[in-house]
Amino acid sequence: RPGLQHKLLRLPLSRIKGLMKADPDVSLASQEAVFAIGKATELFVEVIAKDAYSFALRGKRKTIQRKDVDNAVDATDEFAFLEGTLD
Amino acid sequence: MASASGNDDDLTIPRAAINKMIKETLPNVRVANEARELVVSCCTEFIHLISSEANEICNKSEKKTISPEHVIQALESLGFCSYISEVKEVLQECKTVALKRRKASSRLENLGIPEEELLRQQQELFAKARQQQAELAQQEWLQMQQAAQQAQLAASATANPVNKAGSSQDEEEEDDV
Repeated sequence: RPGLQHKLLRLPLSRIKGLMKADPDVSLASQEAVFAIGKATELFVEVIAKDAYSFALRGKRKTIQRKDVDNAVDATDEFAFLEGTLD
Repeated sequence: MASASGNDDDLTIPRAAINKMIKETLPNVRVANEARELVVSCCTEFIHLISSEANEICNKSEKKTISPEHVIQALESLGFCSYISEVKEVLQECKTVALKRRKASSRLENLGIPEEELLRQQQELFAKARQQQAELAQQEWLQMQQAAQQAQLAASATANPVNKAGSSQDEEEEDDV
């Protein structure tokens, strides 16, 4: 379906919605709100990927390892919420 | 939109989507599987974080549904201000696409036939269909009747066979004299 089928997001909306609903406290969200969260998540992936890459380069490696992502998390204040995920 | 596997806690962003985004951000860079897995987990946490914050902001407002504005405020309060302008851009595109779709479908509707005329044609078709059905039903009824009559005749013929010539039962011949 070309033309009207303009892919605005890479991430599947339905999955994002599902993840939001997994939290029983979270109320209904409008479709646009789900879109907004989807876009923010895509940006998040870009940022963390780039940050991890710079750590790999510092370690003179061409392959991004898990520890590069760890370091990216540690290095950024906003990523403090991810500390628990690193285990 | 129920998930096939039951347990919502196992939901994550599909790995393929993450891989694609990483590839677009860092073309020609190798990424270990463990690193990819970690990014997938981080995404899940990110979504929970933003949803939760947006939810609280929503609760404080008089609204019952989380709006994109709530999400933007959440991004701001959590330190993700740099994401806001692009999020707003995509929201704007959303509206444009939705608007285009509405215009396109209304253009189709307006191709020539006004709604009243369409309604009239529909009523006509329904009436025709009803009539045809009525005619069919009547035909079937007639056929059934005829079949029943024939069955009766056949049954009485075998029960009472007609006598040969000269019989007083043969009323027709008497009348002819």
